[in-house]
Amino acid sequence: MRHLKLLSVFYRSSIQTDMEYRADFFTRIIASLLGLLMNVGAFSIAFHYAGKIGGWTFPQAMVLLSIYYLMDGLIEMFIAPNMRAVMEHVRQGTLDYILLKPISAQFMSSFRTVNIWRLVNVLVGVGLSFYTITQRGLVIGATEAFMFAVTLACGAVIVYSFWLCLVTLTFWFVKLDNIEQIVWQAFEAGRYPIDVYPIWLKNTLTYVIPVVFIITVPAQALAGKLSMSYLLVSMFVALSTLVGASAFWRFGLKHYTGASA
Amino acid sequence: MSYWINVYRANLKMAIAQMLAYRFAILIWAVWGFVGPLISLAVWTAVSASNKSGIAGGSGQSFSRADFAAYYLVFMIFGHLTMSWDAFEFAYRIQDGRLSPKLLKPLHPIHSDIAFNIAFKLCTSAMVMPAWILLFVLLHPTLPTSWIGLILAIPALFLAGALRYILQYALATIAFWTTRVEAINQLFFTVDSFLSGRIAPLSLLPGVMGSVALYSPFRGMGAFPVELALGRIPTAEILPGFALQIVWLSVALVLFRTLWASGIRQYSAVGA
Repeated sequence: MRHLKLLSVFYRSSIQTDMEYRADFFTRIIASLLGLLMNVGAFSIAFHYAGKIGGWTFPQAMVLLSIYYLMDGLIEMFIAPNMRAVMEHVRQGTLDYILLKPISAQFMSSFRTVNIWRLVNVLVGVGLSFYTITQRGLVIGATEAFMFAVTLACGAVIVYSFWLCLVTLTFWFVKLDNIEQIVWQAFEAGRYPIDVYPIWLKNTLTYVIPVVFIITVPAQALAGKLSMSYLLVSMFVALSTLVGASAFWRFGLKHYTGASA
Repeated sequence: MSYWINVYRANLKMAIAQMLAYRFAILIWAVWGFVGPLISLAVWTAVSASNKSGIAGGSGQSFSRADFAAYYLVFMIFGHLTMSWDAFEFAYRIQDGRLSPKLLKPLHPIHSDIAFNIAFKLCTSAMVMPAWILLFVLLHPTLPTSWIGLILAIPALFLAGALRYILQYALATIAFWTTRVEAINQLFFTVDSFLSGRIAPLSLLPGVMGSVALYSPFRGMGAFPVELALGRIPTAEILPGFALQIVWLSVALVLFRTLWASGIRQYSAVGA
C-alpha cells in the first residue's frame, strides 16, 4: 500500500515535468506513425510473394508487430528511463541518495520516473492489434485472451529483470550505454517471425537476450498459436529471472563504493 | 588545391584520433548497419523457401536465395560506406549552441563534418571487414559475373555517398527553423527504406512504387550502385543511372546552399 502511494507520487511528479514538453508528443506521434507505415509496408511487400513467412500469416504477423510496438513503448516508458538514471547515478556517485532513503533501493531505482510521451508506441501497438483482430477476422476466444494476458505479464517481468541485470553490471563496468545499443539491436529482430532466423540466432534470442519470451510468445498467444505448455515455461522463466535478477542486484549493490569517496 | 588538401589532412588526422579513442563505441554504431540488411535477408530467405523457382517482380528480374544474399551483403557494405548521421547531429548542435564556435572558424562547418564522416568509415570498415568476409563465406551468395560492373560501381558508390551526404545535410539545416527534426528524419528514413531498396530490391516493389523508385534520388543513394556491382543493370541503363545520380546531386547541392544561406540568418544561438 505504501509502495502504491509512493508510486503515484513518483509518476505524478515526472508526468508534471513531461507536460512542459508537449511539442515532443506531436513529434513522437508523427515519427511513430511513419515508422509504423514503414514496418507494415515492409510486411505487405514480403507477403505479396508468400502466403506465410516463418509459419505466420499476414494478420498474425501484424499481431506480432503490434506486440513489438507495445513492448517497445512499455520499455521506453517505464523501464529504460529509470535504468538509464541508475547508470548515471552510479557514474556520478549520486546513488548514495537513493540508498539512504528508507525504502527498498530496487523499488526506488526501478520506478522513480515514467516517460509519458513514449505512451505513443503503446497506443500504436494496442491500436494495431485491435485493428488487425477486428478487421482481419482473427478469432480471440477466452483461452487466447487468458494466455495472452499471462504471457504478456510474464514478458513484462522478464524484460524488467533483464534490464535490472544489465544495470547491475554498471557496478563493475560503470559505462554500459553501448551494451544497451546491442540489446536494442536484438530487440529489433523480434519484429519478425522468429523462424525466419538461423538456429544460432533463434537460440540467442531465446536464451541470451530473451526477445522470444518478451515479444514472440505473447504474440503467439494472441494469434492462437501457443500451446498450453509454453504458458508454464513462460511463467517459470519470468519467476526465475525476477528472483535471479533481484539477487544479482543485491549482490551488485555490495560492490558499489560511490564515485568520489 | 593544396589549401584544401591541408585542410582535409588536418581534419582527418584529428577525426581519426578521436575515433580511435572511442573504438568500442563506434564499433557498436557500425554494427547497427548489420541489423537492417540481415533481418531483410532473413525475411526474403524465408519467402524464397516457399518459392523454389525464385521471386520475380514485374520487370522480369528474378531473385533466388543466393541472389538475395548477394544483394543484401553488398547493400550492407555499400550502406556502411555511404551512411551519414549529420541530420541528427546537426540538430543537437543547434539545440545546445555548439554550432556557434564552429561558425566562427574561417571554414564552413561541413568540411570538418565530411572529414569526420570519412574517418568513421575508414576506422570502422577496417574493424568490421573480417565480419563482412565471414558473412560472404557463410551465406554463399551469387558472386558477380563481370568485372566491369564492379569497377563501374566504384564511381557510383562515391556519387551515392556524396548524394546522401549533401541531401541529409540539406535536411539537417531545417533545424535552423524547427530545432526539432525527429519527425522530418523519420519521414526521410521511411521513404528511403522503400525507395532505396532496403526493404526489398526495387524490382520487387509492387505497382506505382516500383516506377517511382526508378527515378527517385533514393535509388541513386542505395540500390543503383549495388545492382551495378552485381551486374544486374542492363548496359543500356547504366548511363541513365549515372545521369540520375548527377542530376540529383546537383539538385541537392543547390538545395543545401539555398537552405544554408537563409537558415544561417535565422540562427540565433541557444544557450548563449
